[in-house]
Amino acid sequence: MVEIIATRIPQTMTEKILARASGRAIVKPGDEIEARPDFVISYDFPGYTDVFFREAREEFGVDKVDRPERFVLFIDHMVPAATPKEEELHRVTRTWGAAQGVPVHERRGIGHQVSAELGYATPGAFVVHFDGHVSQLGAFGTYAFGARKGVLEAYVSPTLAMTVPATVKIVITGSLQPGVMARDVFHHLVRVMGPASCAFKAVELAGPVIEAMSIEGRQTICGQAMFLGANTMLIAPDARTLAYTQGRAKLDLAPVYPDEDAVYERVVTVDVSDLQPIVVIPPSPANTRDLRDHLGVEVHSGYLGSCASGRLEDLRAAAAVLRGRQVRPGFQLHVVPTSQAIMAQAAREGLIESLVEAGAFISSPTCDYCYGRIATMADGQRAVSTGTLNTPGRMGSVDSEIYICNAAVVAASAIEGRIADPRPYLATAGDAP
Amino acid sequence: MTLPNLRGRVAWVFDEDDYDIDLIIGVANIKITDVKALAALAMADREPGFAATVQRGDLLVGGRNFGYGHPHYPAMRAMRHLGIAGVVAESFSPGFFRGEISMGFPLVTCPGILAAVRRGDEIEVDWQAVCVRHLGRGSSLPLQPLNAAERQTLEAGGLIPYLKQRLARSAGATA
Repeated sequence: MVEIIATRIPQTMTEKILARASGRAIVKPGDEIEARPDFVISYDFPGYTDVFFREAREEFGVDKVDRPERFVLFIDHMVPAATPKEEELHRVTRTWGAAQGVPVHERRGIGHQVSAELGYATPGAFVVHFDGHVSQLGAFGTYAFGARKGVLEAYVSPTLAMTVPATVKIVITGSLQPGVMARDVFHHLVRVMGPASCAFKAVELAGPVIEAMSIEGRQTICGQAMFLGANTMLIAPDARTLAYTQGRAKLDLAPVYPDEDAVYERVVTVDVSDLQPIVVIPPSPANTRDLRDHLGVEVHSGYLGSCASGRLEDLRAAAAVLRGRQVRPGFQLHVVPTSQAIMAQAAREGLIESLVEAGAFISSPTCDYCYGRIATMADGQRAVSTGTLNTPGRMGSVDSEIYICNAAVVAASAIEGRIADPRPYLATAGDAP
Repeated sequence: MTLPNLRGRVAWVFDEDDYDIDLIIGVANIKITDVKALAALAMADREPGFAATVQRGDLLVGGRNFGYGHPHYPAMRAMRHLGIAGVVAESFSPGFFRGEISMGFPLVTCPGILAAVRRGDEIEVDWQAVCVRHLGRGSSLPLQPLNAAERQTLEAGGLIPYLKQRLARSAGATA
């Protein structure tokens, strides 16, 4: 007689979340599963949402999405509209949302941030979007995956077919030096691990630097997972996470933690004690370099914002650098808080006042600065940016250049009109909050 | 059903790592939807007249992490319009890989391909034999097989027909 012994199989967070979403006791890397998304998040963009709405109806005969309360739409690109065609796209989105019973949030900020504020970043939830930067919901222990056009499946079926990824664990040790921000940590990971090092994997991020890091910093890092090749990146919830999600979380789910003996494809330890501010030079987010080797490069504009950066700690750092100082004449500094909630808090803290008095141009939240729809650069111009990408042409002419860096570097560079080290300014900052 | 072999000349070799495919048409042009206009822009700043050099069935060859960045769909729409039948690369960036398989466009991961071919060489992707052959030299390299969902998506001709088949199957299973 065969004795069946119940054995506990250790699981990563990814495996636990995907097991629950696919109705299985356990899953392992390589399993092909059909997982039920807890939330389906999109922003409207031509060729994506308008096409999903049409294809669901015309190709699949789906007039109503399954359980519309799982869906949410954001209008955060092309805000405000600059052409009748753009406004028409937004109208299509509002009309579809109203007909389906799906909420449409517009002008509240960049959807990936507002998703967290509204509680879609429920610890333990499985979330899909077409845009990979949704991975930043992983800061809250949510498995959030950008399936590109594959998200259509979630519009026409209750489940999404996918392969369970292997998990890479990254442990960040040491402590961060003054002037080094979450943005530097992420691009340092790309430098030491490689831009394809986590291709098709999930990443679980842990270690003392992450434990000490703000929720905002964690969002910054997790949101960039695609530039390591990763499907997504997530962090086990801690007291800080649960304090944020309590009262916001849209689902009553038990938070999910990795088992101590979970099997990772790899465990990589990265010590950041010696890390200095970085700059990511054009033409690729693979090009992390030390800031000190690129000081003095002439720059003409600066962008502080995006789903990656533009949160309170970024605005505080920029204000600390710029308070009582002036943006160099002719330099264009654009500061775009990531959400309205962030913008309002920045106003309460006096950050907006400091930035405006220094000469910054402050915009309400929008994605549009990140991809050159506005504040467009001409041939030969060069920007420092906290945006997501530095491909030539991303922010204007294909003959313009983008240097990605942290918010304090953008602010210091705005003062000098050259790529500058913010640390001397931070050291002599006045009553920095 | 089996995937037909791809057989064609190497129309271009992108030998750089982490290549951002939006550069094929220029990032400024990614909102263009007219495929003829896109095809006319393809490779314009690298080789004017590239379009005229492409024959139907030709293939592109790429380096490591091909498609890194924020890959948008117009670049490969343009390439397909010119007659390009697929891309063989050292490796692909996952977002690009998922997106183009959804479009029914064959992407073939084949470590070693960059050193093995030159522009103009004739190659064959043999899915069944799991290799890429250099037809001039008779040499071959193993390719990394697709998983079941990717293979079925290509066989169906893209995400929409694949999803229709799958949904019909699961409706049949529960009927």
